[in-house]
Amino acid sequence: MARVKPFTTAAALATFSADRHETAPLAELRQQALAAYPQLPLPTFEKIRYQRWPLFNGDLAPEQAANQTATPTSELATPLTTTDAADQEPAMIQQLDLQAPWVQLSAEAQAQGVVVLDFFQAQREYPELFAKYYGTLAAPALANRLAAFHTAAVNGGLLIYLPAGAKLTAPLTLELTQSGDNGQLYAQHLLLVAGENSEATILATRQTTTAGSASANIVEELILEQGAQLRYTAIDGLKNTTYLARRAYLFADARIDWALGEMNDGDIVTDFNTDLVGKGSQADFKAVAISTGSQFQGITTRLTNYGLHTVANILQHGVILSDATLTFNGVGHIVKGARDSDSQQENRVLMLSRTARGDANPILLIDENDVRAGHAASVGRVNESQMYYLMSRGLSKDLAERLVIRGFLGSVLTEIPVAAARAALTATIERKLIDGQRHRDRAQ
Amino acid sequence: MSVLEVRDLHVRVDDQNEHKEILKGVDLTMKTGEIHAVMGPNGTGKSTLSETIMGNPRYQVTNGDILLDGVSLLDKPVDERARAGLFLAMQYPAEIVGVTNAEFMRAAINARRPDDDPISVRQFIKELDHNLALLDMSEGMAERYLNQGFSGGEKKRNEILQLLMIKPTFAILDEIDSGLDIDAMKVVAKGVNSMRGATFGSLIITHYQRLLDYIKPDVVHVMMGGRVVKSGDADLARKLEDEGYTGLRDELGLDIQLTDEN
Ligand SMILES: Nc1ncnc2c1ncn2[C@@H]1O[C@H](COP(=O)(O)OP(=O)(O)O)[C@@H](O)[C@H]1O
Ligand SMILES: [Mg+2]
Repeated sequence: MARVKPFTTAAALATFSADRHETAPLAELRQQALAAYPQLPLPTFEKIRYQRWPLFNGDLAPEQAANQTATPTSELATPLTTTDAADQEPAMIQQLDLQAPWVQLSAEAQAQGVVVLDFFQAQREYPELFAKYYGTLAAPALANRLAAFHTAAVNGGLLIYLPAGAKLTAPLTLELTQSGDNGQLYAQHLLLVAGENSEATILATRQTTTAGSASANIVEELILEQGAQLRYTAIDGLKNTTYLARRAYLFADARIDWALGEMNDGDIVTDFNTDLVGKGSQADFKAVAISTGSQFQGITTRLTNYGLHTVANILQHGVILSDATLTFNGVGHIVKGARDSDSQQENRVLMLSRTARGDANPILLIDENDVRAGHAASVGRVNESQMYYLMSRGLSKDLAERLVIRGFLGSVLTEIPVAAARAALTATIERKLIDGQRHRDRAQ
Repeated sequence: MSVLEVRDLHVRVDDQNEHKEILKGVDLTMKTGEIHAVMGPNGTGKSTLSETIMGNPRYQVTNGDILLDGVSLLDKPVDERARAGLFLAMQYPAEIVGVTNAEFMRAAINARRPDDDPISVRQFIKELDHNLALLDMSEGMAERYLNQGFSGGEKKRNEILQLLMIKPTFAILDEIDSGLDIDAMKVVAKGVNSMRGATFGSLIITHYQRLLDYIKPDVVHVMMGGRVVKSGDADLARKLEDEGYTGLRDELGLDIQLTDEN
């Protein structure tokens, strides 16, 4: 493999750590990662050829001083307003680029000791949490070139800690905004630790304000301790070339319900991963994606059953317009010893133009006999006779397409348990579609 | 009153390698308040005529014109023609996964209304329930995906259901009777007859005379070899039933090879 030139020097990186009062273990890990990443292989994702993408671009440090005063960014982000529990204000967390987050916790979150801190501050205040969970279980720090690059370059992020037994009735909304055009590498990290038997709903949105040449390398690691229940919705609208890892590690009887909307406008390669390690843990993963213009979205979702009686489900539907590409890999892996486990998946893509490219690859790896597993996959095309039929009843081409798409993605949406998440996703889908169609119709 | 006029229509379809002229000068005028029937042997261009009127891009008009109330439709795409008042119940309706029948019909109705005045859910459901009952269709049919897995007969009924919901000015029904048993045919005829009135006109394309026992046409046209060779009243259909297409051809002294001959 070709060697790459490190993005910075050890000395510059040490200064960066020192400027941010980084703890010794993290500063050392950073140096280790800097030395290691050029030699490490890029991770491989079936049928996703991203190897030549500009994933290592941008400046490490922002031009302004770090840790400047945080301000709410709601002008930039679209807040998720509707909530299921009307009696509780949702907790709001906003972060613009790598600044310290703006946090407004609800009364219940405060009462239950929920912690939300800037990445650098969190290292100092919760060193034992970082020692235990940062880059260890969910997203190993030096696993491959992209992971190690992240570890070396991480320049902002968040810790969210739900203490054992905390139960939040209202969702925690997370609005993470990347400026995109300021030349700054966006190596953002989210460490979320859900303590034993805690319960929460996260509604996250990630967006880029203006497309630019700097890369994004985002890692979210979610630790669900025994019995923790997390509903995690994320709507991603990123515009720069992005590596996005969203990785969860489940202890016994923990449960995660993922609902993701990949509505990015730039090229993106994702590494969605859930390790069902503790016995009886469950992961339910649902995603919808739309690729438009000439973008490439490569989405790999891997759920691995390690523990006994673990249940893993993947449901991904995606739509492709214009010359765009969308590839779904669904990997269900049941390792030896994960008896009485279940791994199911369905991956479907629908292409709306002759030049769209799509793939849906179910990959089942079963190393244990006493299990249940199944998969379904399809790559379909809305063909001209279907469009003609719909239009023959008076629907415009754009409306006919949107109807088909809404229906196709709707089968995933209706399965999403959180009403606010459904509504937010539906709205984002509509917007992305109309943008994609407008762009195409102008080009024609 | 609206008028749909087909003037000296010549139509070609570009097959893989040959360019076939299928319609060789069709003339036909119909008004609202009238039901016209077009009969003719297989392969004579009946579906080509209906698809071309509707605006299927696979068919190329090489000569002639199609006018709605004096305005040429030729440069208008299919969706515009639909909104202008045309409807085609297709011989082979497409199946579309993910779009429910009800959702589709609502979108079709709203496509004809101003953006800020969509049909109310209550009104829509009222009409839907009424029409489902009229056509002996179960309520579940509305929630199923558009034509997906429908039997031949269900697809035909579904075309008529759309007709009743959309209420076009002119409806072309292309072999709506094919593959239907007598009871289903009566149901379909009941649906079409319920539309009859001063503001509705229909062009009923059929191979057999049987459907016309249930939907009385005002005018019958016989097509052969890509042309209308004879027009008359309802008796013409009955006469055809007795003599067959070959009989009529020979009587008219036409030199046309019929596909189903021999
Ligand atoms: N889309 C098409 N592509 C190629 N040939 C066609 C197409 N549609 C019709 N034809 C040909 O045109 C002729 C008339 O067909 P059609 O209009 O379907 O007749 P009818 O409906 O009277 O049976 C036939 O020879 C048929 O094979
Ligand atoms: Mg036909």
